[in-house]
Amino acid sequence: MTPSVPSVLGEMAQLLVRNADPAVPAAERTTALTLSAMLLGLAAEVWDDAAERLAVENRALAALLPDTADESSLKLSALKAENDRLRARLIEAHIAAEQAGDAARLDAIWAELKASTERRLLSVSLV
Amino acid sequence: MEHPLAPRIAAYVAGKMPDVTDVAVLDVERISGGASRETYRFRLSWREGAQARERRLILRRDPPASLIDTERRVEFEAYRAFHGSAVPVPEMLWLEEADDALDHPFFIAEELSGYQAAPQLLFAGGYDAVLPRVAERKWTILGEIAKADPAALGLTQVMPAPALDACWRRELDHWEAIFDKEMSAKEGAEPQPIARAAIRWLRANPPPPAQKLSVVHGDYRTGNFLYDEAGDIHGVLDWEMAHLGDPLEDLAWGFNPIWRFGRGLAGGLISKPAAVALWEAASGLHCDPKALHWWELFNCVKGQGIWVGSARAFIDGGNREPIMVYPAWWLLNAQDRAILEVMGRL
Repeated sequence: MTPSVPSVLGEMAQLLVRNADPAVPAAERTTALTLSAMLLGLAAEVWDDAAERLAVENRALAALLPDTADESSLKLSALKAENDRLRARLIEAHIAAEQAGDAARLDAIWAELKASTERRLLSVSLV
Repeated sequence: MEHPLAPRIAAYVAGKMPDVTDVAVLDVERISGGASRETYRFRLSWREGAQARERRLILRRDPPASLIDTERRVEFEAYRAFHGSAVPVPEMLWLEEADDALDHPFFIAEELSGYQAAPQLLFAGGYDAVLPRVAERKWTILGEIAKADPAALGLTQVMPAPALDACWRRELDHWEAIFDKEMSAKEGAEPQPIARAAIRWLRANPPPPAQKLSVVHGDYRTGNFLYDEAGDIHGVLDWEMAHLGDPLEDLAWGFNPIWRFGRGLAGGLISKPAAVALWEAASGLHCDPKALHWWELFNCVKGQGIWVGSARAFIDGGNREPIMVYPAWWLLNAQDRAILEVMGRL
């Protein structure tokens, strides 16, 4: 997810410390902690699947483009950077397929785009 | 304990009310929901001769960095233009565009108290009997906004007035630029293949010229108006994206699939054809289905631009509030799915 989970958790840690101060107005503390709780819930939901989702998607994109998915590091940040690179290439491939009128290729790209949203689907998704 | 802003607000207001004495600001509290402005409520008290007075007010202050970057004067003037009309809005009191008084620009307005805004509460069950009334009011008021004459309201003085055949391009250029800017960021730039595909389709299939130039609220949806237990609407809020343009833009924003709130109904309230009929009756305008479809897809792109901007404001450190993260985490993928749905690809 963007912003990255570690950067948000780090900010949440500081926010919790700030809200431990009794001088923080009650209404502001309520807002801050409620939103933080919702964010922590989302982070918990995606945590276990995050690396696998990125690896699966990167392989799917690499097969479609074609390209090679770099898996030299399994850090989430590295997998995400590779995902961004491949998705940028997917945009170029999509434009090329549109210009060529390549219906089969377009179908394959749209199928991957739909699959990408299903991989990212949250329990609280509105669509 | 007194809020640190209280004495500063009091000093500012005292300067605006030179004929009164004993100006005091009490019970300052920040209220939730303000992702593009910091919003505070407070009680203002003062004396006029021997008489003590009091009024509940709202302060909307620019944050260090925002989910959307807008001019507070535009928002202030949009509210002021509709005050006292068929479009219920709070009274605007003072606009301050300099940083001196409260570190950032802000405005102060009347608080419409005793009403609710949250969609979660509206859809929790207790309001089920009045949801048709909320819907009737919601789309009738939007029709009134569409019907209004921007020049007569004085809004052509503060908002650019595009040609009728240029409304769509102006808006699409603006929101596509958000994605372009995102991709030039040094850290965390995230490609958006679904939104980019939608933008290409929108450019290749432009809508007809707007049937009139209207005030476009820009964020007219369930959640941005104040309702009561009878289903009446007492205030339309969050005009920070107001501009002049095609009235179908506003109608279509409320049909963004994410604003169904998972209930399968427009705005979570009624069917889309029923909402369109209410809007047409109130505005006297026609809703061309093909043009509406273009604006629905456009609004999905616009929504994604807002959520991307929210993430960017957090990543760049300009605004580290949790409200900047939640839209990005909650809505980026849902908005992509909404784009696919509107394009018939889901």
